[in-house]
Amino acid sequence: MRLSITARIALLAIILSLVSNLALIGFVWKQTSADAIDAIRRETTEQSDALRTVWQIGGLPELRAAIREADNPGDVSQVLALLDANGRSLQGMAPDRVTIPLKTTTFRIARLGNDSLWAARETGYALYPIGRNWLLTGRNLDLIAAEERAMERALAFAITLSLALGIFGGLVLARYVGRRLDAIANVIEAAGEGDLSRRVGVVAGGGDAFDRLAARLNVMLGKLEGVMAELRVVTDSLAHDLRSPLARLRTKTEQAVLIADPDAREVALGGLLTETDLVMRMLTMVIEISRSGSVSRDRFIEVSPADLIEEIGELYAPVAEDAGLTFQVAIDDRPMPMALHRELISQAIANLIDNALRHGATGGSVTLRLIERGDGVVIQVEDRGPGIAESDRAQALKRFGRLDSARTTPGAGLGLSLIEAVARLHDGRLELGDNAPGLIARIVLPF
Amino acid sequence: MGAGGNVLSAGLSVMETGESDDAVNRKILIVEDDASTASYLVKGLAEAGYAVESCGDGRDGLFLASEGIFDLIIADRMLPGLDGLAMVSAIRAAGIVTPVLILSALAAVDHRVDGLKAGADDYLCKPFSFAELSARVEALVRRSDRLASDPQKTKLSVGDLEIDLLARVVSRGGNTIPLGAREFNLLEFLARHAGQVVTRTMMLEKIWNYHFDPGSNVVDVHIGRLRRKLEDGFPTPILHTVRGAGYRLAVDG
Repeated sequence: MRLSITARIALLAIILSLVSNLALIGFVWKQTSADAIDAIRRETTEQSDALRTVWQIGGLPELRAAIREADNPGDVSQVLALLDANGRSLQGMAPDRVTIPLKTTTFRIARLGNDSLWAARETGYALYPIGRNWLLTGRNLDLIAAEERAMERALAFAITLSLALGIFGGLVLARYVGRRLDAIANVIEAAGEGDLSRRVGVVAGGGDAFDRLAARLNVMLGKLEGVMAELRVVTDSLAHDLRSPLARLRTKTEQAVLIADPDAREVALGGLLTETDLVMRMLTMVIEISRSGSVSRDRFIEVSPADLIEEIGELYAPVAEDAGLTFQVAIDDRPMPMALHRELISQAIANLIDNALRHGATGGSVTLRLIERGDGVVIQVEDRGPGIAESDRAQALKRFGRLDSARTTPGAGLGLSLIEAVARLHDGRLELGDNAPGLIARIVLPF
Repeated sequence: MGAGGNVLSAGLSVMETGESDDAVNRKILIVEDDASTASYLVKGLAEAGYAVESCGDGRDGLFLASEGIFDLIIADRMLPGLDGLAMVSAIRAAGIVTPVLILSALAAVDHRVDGLKAGADDYLCKPFSFAELSARVEALVRRSDRLASDPQKTKLSVGDLEIDLLARVVSRGGNTIPLGAREFNLLEFLARHAGQVVTRTMMLEKIWNYHFDPGSNVVDVHIGRLRRKLEDGFPTPILHTVRGAGYRLAVDG
């Protein structure tokens, strides 16, 4: 398919070059030929006018002298003669007997005679009566024919040249297009085989169609790579996090089977339910993450961020206080209501608080804060825990859950993936900052 | 508690202890095409004392539901014949107000919104715990009674606990108990379902309007605070924990 397209491009280039050359040559040819005949007409008219003037002033002897004088033996194409009433040549260069009708003619192209010399060529001539005689002036078209033949040869050469140039240009063009397309096709092929890291090289400042195509393709591949990376984190995290509750579930089931006392077994079975619920909760979260990419905007409702924060703060305050932490809800600004997915945003904030309660509990206080900035609304959770070193933050954002390699609390990695997915759904982002000491995790939602 | 040896009985035992009388003569229609889920539901609800009828097709479901003889319809979403949501819409369009509980594997927040928009009264995601289902079934069945009998109640009472819904004042044994706004809503919800099991997710949905699981025993903490206010200084407990299911506001244990 690609080959046939390059072939078509080459063919198009050839045809275009041919057509434009033909048009140009044809125009020149036609123009030149018309000009040549015009020149003969002018020359013939001028000469016959001049000679008639000579006859009117000086009579026949003067005219004969003028014809003799004007007769140039080297100029074979010139026709100049004095004819008698029967068309026989009396003097000058002309057929012995002309075959043209003897009447006043301003300009005409015709064969002048029957003999071998004159029958072969056409002549542009003028014929005027001089007393009983006729004055014939003119010029053979030999020269014009020669010019035309030269033009035709030039034309044939030009066509050959333009064909050659067209084929050459077409091949160069096809190679060029093929090379640019190949660069793009190779990247797409690699992506199809699973290598999403390759990009099409874009010339800096290059703004042609291929560059635009390549740039868009690169953006698409970048997004795809991000999504795939995130998917990998979620899958890893899921597999990792599912293992421990499932292992516990299995151990507890084995133990419960062995318990003979009904009440003790009841307790053991209750423990099984708790573990099962934990696994189900994680699966629900995975579903939300995977769906958040395709949530349509009509699910968004106008929500006052301050009300939202107060509600969720009110839900978590007793939890934090029971855990021995000071929990504060700080509404620094009250932004205008904005279109949000209330449920998913609430869940994301809940996850942020949950994370602070787990990892920042040693610091003794957690603050949920709402700020309005120039670039949007910021919802942040500040803790006084160990925080994350600045150099580790980028890595932490990528694989937040993995920082705590020895963690026993399941679902943290998933929770942060969900926060990121929700932030992205709102065209926002998740950021990490320093609370000196402690961590600030913030969701930035642009207006 | 019953001495059942399987997980199912942990939820069912709630019914067996005190509430099975309420289930007598209640008819429930189950529209579910998955045979194992359907038989699990039929068995569980029948043991709880409900009269259960089941069918596996949306069109049959609509046909049965339009008789108007059921107290509750439990419907799957992805059904042969007629989609579950379309069936619910058709039932509502026919003017039938039988409560509908949708039971679906479509578990995302937005799926739930779709279900409630179609006219369902409650939405429970698969896989579900039977305790959760039976608590919701009971709440829905009782709700239609309550609406029929006394929609304009202004006072609720459970034993010596009195709740004035207009003045938003709570007292127990004549002593006023100061409650926060959210605590009051929580207590009102529990009192409206007095004697029934109310699950954590039901409270999250109705009191906070959150349809996700916030983790960290959030509801337990709120209930714990409410319980301390209701029970500290009084000889008898009134807010009971039902293991594996949720909570119950009642005089007896």
